[in-house]
Amino acid sequence: MSATSYGWLVLAFPLAGLLVTSLGWRVLPGRTAGWIASGAILGSFLASLGALVQVQDLPREERHAVDSIWTYAATGDFDVEVGIFVDPLAVFMCLVVSGVSFLIHVYSISYVSGDHGFARFFAYLNYFVFSMLLLVLAGNFILLIVGWAFVGAASYLLISFWYRRDTATHAGIKAFVMNVIGDVGLVIAAFLILNETGQLDYLGVFERAPEVFAQNDGTIVATCLLLLVGAFAKSAQLPLHTWLPDAMEGPTPVSALIHAATMVTAGVYLIARTFPLFELAPTAADIGAIIGTATLVFAATVALVQTDLKRVIAYSTMSQIGYMVLGVSVAAYSAGLFHLMTHAFFKALLFMGAGSVIGAMAGIQDMDRMGGFRKAMPFTFVTFTIGALALAAFPFTSGFFSKDEVLAYTINRGGGYVVLALAGYFGAALTGFYAFRMVFRVFGGEPVPEAKELEGGHAAHGEPMNPMTGEPEDTDVGFPGPEHNVAESSPPMKFAMAPLAFLALVAGVVGIPGVTDTLEHFLEPTFESSRYIDDHPSAGAEWVGLAAGGIISVASIYVAYVFFVRRRGITLELRDRFPKVHAFLFHKWYFDELYDAVFVRPTATAGAFGRRVVETDFVQGFIVGGTTGIVRAGTSFARAIQTGFLRAYALLLLLGVAGLVLYFLLASS
Amino acid sequence: MTIHLSIVLFLPLAAGLVGAVLPRGMARWAVLAGTVAVLAYAIAMIADFDSAAGGLQYETNDQWIEELGIRYQLGVDGLNLFMVLLTAIAWVPCTLWAAVREQDRPKLFFFYMGLAETAVLGAFMAQDLALFIVFFDLMLVPFYFLIGGWGTGDRVRATTKFVIYTLSGSLLMLAAAIALGVLATPDGGQLSFSLEVLEQRSVPEGTQHWIVLLFALAFFVKAPLFPLHGWVPETYRSTPIPVLALLSGVLSKVGVYGFLRIVLPVMPEGSQHWQELFIVIAVFSILYGSVLAFSQDNVRLVVAYSSIAQLGFIVLGIFALDDEGAQGAVLQMLNHGLVVVPLFLIIGLVAARSGGGESLKELGGMAFRAPVLAALFLITTFATLAMPGSANFIGEVLVLFGSFEDKLVYGIVASVGVVLAAVYMIRLFQRVMHNRVGPAVRSRDIGGLDLAATAPLVAVIVALGLYPQFVVERTEKTTFQQIAAAKALADGGEARAAAPARQGE
Amino acid sequence: MIDVAGIAASEVKAPVIDYKELSPLLALAGGMVVVLMVGLLRPRFVRRALVPALSAGALLIAIGLTIWIWEPGDRQPIIEGALSVDALALGISVLFYVAGLVTIVLSLRANAPSEAGHGEYHALLLGSIAGMVVLAQAENLVTLFIGIELLSIPLYVLCATELRQRVSLESGLKYLVVGSVGSATLLYGLAMIYGATGSMQFGGIGSAIGGDELSATDPLLLTGIALAATGLAFKASVAPFHQWTPDVYQGAPTPITTFMAVATKAAAFAVFLRLFGQALGLAQLEWAPALAVLATVTIVMGNVGAIAQRSLKRMLAWSGVAQAGYLLAGVIVASELGARATAFYLAVYLLMNVTAFAVVVARERVSERGDDLASFEGLGTSQPWLAWPMTIAMLSLAGFPATAGFIGKFYLIDAAVAGDYTWLGIVIVIGSVVSLGYYLRVVAVMWMGRFEIEMPGPARRLVKPAAGWSPEADALAQPEVAAIAILFAAATIVFGIYPDPLFDLARDVGSSLSSLR
Repeated sequence: MSATSYGWLVLAFPLAGLLVTSLGWRVLPGRTAGWIASGAILGSFLASLGALVQVQDLPREERHAVDSIWTYAATGDFDVEVGIFVDPLAVFMCLVVSGVSFLIHVYSISYVSGDHGFARFFAYLNYFVFSMLLLVLAGNFILLIVGWAFVGAASYLLISFWYRRDTATHAGIKAFVMNVIGDVGLVIAAFLILNETGQLDYLGVFERAPEVFAQNDGTIVATCLLLLVGAFAKSAQLPLHTWLPDAMEGPTPVSALIHAATMVTAGVYLIARTFPLFELAPTAADIGAIIGTATLVFAATVALVQTDLKRVIAYSTMSQIGYMVLGVSVAAYSAGLFHLMTHAFFKALLFMGAGSVIGAMAGIQDMDRMGGFRKAMPFTFVTFTIGALALAAFPFTSGFFSKDEVLAYTINRGGGYVVLALAGYFGAALTGFYAFRMVFRVFGGEPVPEAKELEGGHAAHGEPMNPMTGEPEDTDVGFPGPEHNVAESSPPMKFAMAPLAFLALVAGVVGIPGVTDTLEHFLEPTFESSRYIDDHPSAGAEWVGLAAGGIISVASIYVAYVFFVRRRGITLELRDRFPKVHAFLFHKWYFDELYDAVFVRPTATAGAFGRRVVETDFVQGFIVGGTTGIVRAGTSFARAIQTGFLRAYALLLLLGVAGLVLYFLLASS
Repeated sequence: MTIHLSIVLFLPLAAGLVGAVLPRGMARWAVLAGTVAVLAYAIAMIADFDSAAGGLQYETNDQWIEELGIRYQLGVDGLNLFMVLLTAIAWVPCTLWAAVREQDRPKLFFFYMGLAETAVLGAFMAQDLALFIVFFDLMLVPFYFLIGGWGTGDRVRATTKFVIYTLSGSLLMLAAAIALGVLATPDGGQLSFSLEVLEQRSVPEGTQHWIVLLFALAFFVKAPLFPLHGWVPETYRSTPIPVLALLSGVLSKVGVYGFLRIVLPVMPEGSQHWQELFIVIAVFSILYGSVLAFSQDNVRLVVAYSSIAQLGFIVLGIFALDDEGAQGAVLQMLNHGLVVVPLFLIIGLVAARSGGGESLKELGGMAFRAPVLAALFLITTFATLAMPGSANFIGEVLVLFGSFEDKLVYGIVASVGVVLAAVYMIRLFQRVMHNRVGPAVRSRDIGGLDLAATAPLVAVIVALGLYPQFVVERTEKTTFQQIAAAKALADGGEARAAAPARQGE
Repeated sequence: MIDVAGIAASEVKAPVIDYKELSPLLALAGGMVVVLMVGLLRPRFVRRALVPALSAGALLIAIGLTIWIWEPGDRQPIIEGALSVDALALGISVLFYVAGLVTIVLSLRANAPSEAGHGEYHALLLGSIAGMVVLAQAENLVTLFIGIELLSIPLYVLCATELRQRVSLESGLKYLVVGSVGSATLLYGLAMIYGATGSMQFGGIGSAIGGDELSATDPLLLTGIALAATGLAFKASVAPFHQWTPDVYQGAPTPITTFMAVATKAAAFAVFLRLFGQALGLAQLEWAPALAVLATVTIVMGNVGAIAQRSLKRMLAWSGVAQAGYLLAGVIVASELGARATAFYLAVYLLMNVTAFAVVVARERVSERGDDLASFEGLGTSQPWLAWPMTIAMLSLAGFPATAGFIGKFYLIDAAVAGDYTWLGIVIVIGSVVSLGYYLRVVAVMWMGRFEIEMPGPARRLVKPAAGWSPEADALAQPEVAAIAILFAAATIVFGIYPDPLFDLARDVGSSLSSLR
């Protein structure tokens, strides 16, 4: 079988899973739907491996294959096939996506086992994975947009999975609309591309692009900026990031899958995929790099003060994606994707751990109420800590290699990029701090009642309530009510977390500078046309960077230790000393408030204005009322002169005759 | 196989008449059978249709009123092929829907349903301007009675307003059409309203200007576009659901169809003269409709205003005077019809589950006990907001591409409408299906017969989403022909030279 | 001293009379005498059955003779150019005959004949018809005026035949006064035209205007035209000379109203066509704008006037005013096409109005609300066989397609545009839009079972019931009226879908005005 047939298989499995679970929801007994769905994803993971083998078999310079099954739409220059494009990058993405997704599916089987929407949940999950794989396999921009929007839709459905929660449905709309903004950006970009190159297929576009676009010519810059709009909307980069924290309304596995490991990294994939365009528009690339950096610092600062466990992880995700965007924007493609992979591992792991903790807390997510879980949940404690270490880029964990490789490449570009790199290191320091802030506050300190209860062997039974609003849940649609799952007690969750923990530790081996660089070589065929393909930092330089990163990481973890273990309460003092700073960070730099004031309210006001003023006064009042008013006036006039008295008639008669005669006399002269 | 359009045309009316003489209970089934037969015929026609050939197929061309130069001339080409199909597809579920519910005076009701389908089919198939207008106005009669006789609320006022609004447009169009026919007649020539004749003759540009304007007036009222949508709120509120589905899904297309069938090919200079104005109206309608849909509380009105926005997109595509744009418009005409019909049927089901409540405040939380209904609603919603992967997306993208081509600014502004569409449609879905259960809501899943009415439509939506090319390849050729003349002008060329000769001339 | 012998010797040259051409007129006159005589007989059967039968017979004979002598094209006037029996005259006079027949049928159960005496009633009717025929055939100013008077005087009486109804008498009187003013104006105008052109003959007038010694803008001539136009405007109830119409129509016995509505208007337009088309055709540039203005005023007045009415008879009167405005368009363009369109629309107009009035007759006899809108409420369910014809009539009057009314308007607008009066065509459609306001209300009342009370108090009922006010009784009360309604409604639809027969007649009619463009 050829690489593309494997590619189709990769898509076929989750699609089949989707159909089975969604059509069979009524008949599938117990947890079957979950197992079917997981099996489907496992299938597409294996298919991805098959594709990997096939691609590697191809000679190095033609390691890409295209194939299409039917014409999607073709009129005028607009010509789109339903076609896929398989190359190392696509395969790499497929492996990461399907692999991590599989584990998360398994994790979910027990996590949502108590939920009425069990089958629905897995149907959504399969739909999501299918869409994500479509996104990475798409052979042209239109199909890319299709996958792009599908993941958005899946994300919407999963965020508002517990749809009796107003907070959840609001978060869903927010995410969906932000994503649509991204889609529109992509559509316009696609138009510009089609208009200039007359092509929509990747290969065709990348071939024609250098011919039609001058370096940094206005159109190509505009195109790339529009692509960035799409990428940033999806990857929650400034200023389109506000949906991600709210997306934590979804069940924790969803956060792990979509909002950590896969969907949010689509933006990174997009930039990497369209690198030939970005290299023609350095300005756009630089803007990407700058925004990436800004986001990583911004998100890290916010993560420092959030008390909602999942939201802290969400902001850390934004921050990490900042690193990836920075990487791919400075042409450190393999580095960026390397970090994408490792991040997928450890961030998924962190979310799973958090889910386990939240289960133990009977749905509560506020860190202020947590503590001392290390004895109660040793397994979760260990795995979560591993995840935190990787996130903090602790020496020789996976994050250590990937993050610092990005920064090393950035420095290597020299000039202003060095500043960005330094900002990156600053962000790294913050990262280490907030990562272990979580660890220490959740697992360290005195056990809270829930923890004690769990040590006693049974999970806490809180009245289910919405952690955001505190209002009691409407459990009949299946909010995971009294009965919760924690990793300690459920094998599937353990099964999912163990391999991730392992990978989070050792996945760095595929990119040890100067030693392995496996990933870099694997991806080279995709990026060999890049003009930066050869200037990567020397192993020595990278090791210097690694050393620096390691020191920063260790130091920051120590600081966290001081703050949260040695001298607890110092944070409170800080908060009281700089209330403004704290409030500013705690309210996420007031982005939500800003957008509400700038976009949401005006639209609503415009609507109200239209409804009250334009509709009633202009359309109904002026146009309708006006005409009918004229007619009414005429009517009353007609009735007024229709008195029924002959004398009145005689008068009008005389006037009429007079008028007529007068006219004719005038006409005659 | 030979297709006789006259059979397709008059079958529903015949069914209605048969129903009128059958015993009371039978009328509905007679008409339903008629609509199904029409659908079968339409499908056969699609199968038989030769998409390679431009020009008219299955043409019927007889003298009707010689004195006035009116011919009984029917024909199908790529432009109206799918409009006929849409009509046929839409009427079946709506008739079924009405048939499985108790109607008072059923014979009359279903007779009007049949008459209505005949009139709409006639308007779509007519190849003679006067004949088109005859059917265009005839459509109003059954809808007038259907709304006034079986509607809810202040129905008489609503239906009167609807008819007067539409007729004031179409009567002015009648005057304009007669003027067109008379003024186009060369000295000693025979007066004729046959479109293919009119396309060869021409009237002075100055005359074209006001004639086009009057035509546009009629079509914009029908569509409706801002600011001529004054009849919409009341009419949509009081129209019975199956009729409303047809009104919004099918009738609204007749107007915009008229642009492509009549205005652009016959009066290219005039059309090109008003291009800018019409585009502005279209874009404004997109934004206005979207914003109002976003702020409506009544479920029907959300869809009503969304239709204004959608029709705005279609008009934008037409008057971009660009191949992709027009193609997109034609595709959207079909798509919008296909999504709006099930949308309204679903709204009917929703209202039935909330004690007739149609205010978003009273609704909510239905999904839990009605998963299938929710799924159908969800798919329709996504298609309506033109999510990539739906045929509506392709249609909208083509429209936008067409307008970007040389009206970039308008295109960009219009794409804001895409975002707003996402907002109001998802809001609609969510406020109905999600959140806490509404006070009066007694949710239950969709029943078998209703499922039979809606599910096929949703299936068609999905199928088209997978393979929009099916429509594109069949419509493409004629669409390009229709706009060729005006397009040439817009590109600064010579109209008549560019107009390709139609078949049979 | 007078040479008696000489006088005796010199023979008086009597005009040649072509009795064949004259035969329909003679038939009417004969019928009139016979009916009057027979009417004197006492037996109930004679009065109630025989008299109507005889009058109907006379009309049928007239129709037969008309068909016999029918011949399109331009015809030589007969009796020294007094009358011209051409297709225009004959075609239009068929409308009179049909209207007459309808009136007779509708009068069968009416009170008017029995109160006024059947013989007189029907004789007057026939006399009026004879007058209309003369008018339609008039070829010179004298016969024109004779015709006018001959048609008017019997009508004045007929309007007042419901002797016990104040409104009826009032309407007769009003009609008499206003009508006389109209006739006087007309006479004055005719005199001036004669003075200006020195000819009584239409042909002579035409050639005089065409000639060198008289310019088309001669003040005397134009003043004459103005006054003549006014006089005819009265008969055609063209604004601002329309005001008698609603009052008279409402007051008169409904069968007579029907007759006036359709026949009088037809007669008036026949002479309009002949006088303005043939005699004054060459001065068209002078008078057309003025008439166009009149037409516009008429269309506006008629339609806005009708909206406020809840008495069906008044409403139809106003709508008749509006329709007169539409018809005027066909005259204004002074073209053969215009003549055809006018003739066609007159026929259509007869169909629609007869239908509507027949239903009104049927309702007002059985409902205590008389011809008030209220008495039509829910007719769609209670008596569909009346509701359908009424609906068709209303839709046709409003100009919906698939009805004769649509074709008629189409034809008129076509003529207007072809005669460079496009704007008048647009006025016509705007008028039609306004007219929807009241036509549709009637339909709504009948089918949509709801009736908003927004207009002044309900009309007093005018006639005593024909049956016992119970639906069953009503249903069987007056089959002949329902039959008329259904018949004419059916014709409205048929000619709306297959109008060619009417077009052929219209073509013949137009062909007889050769002088036109």
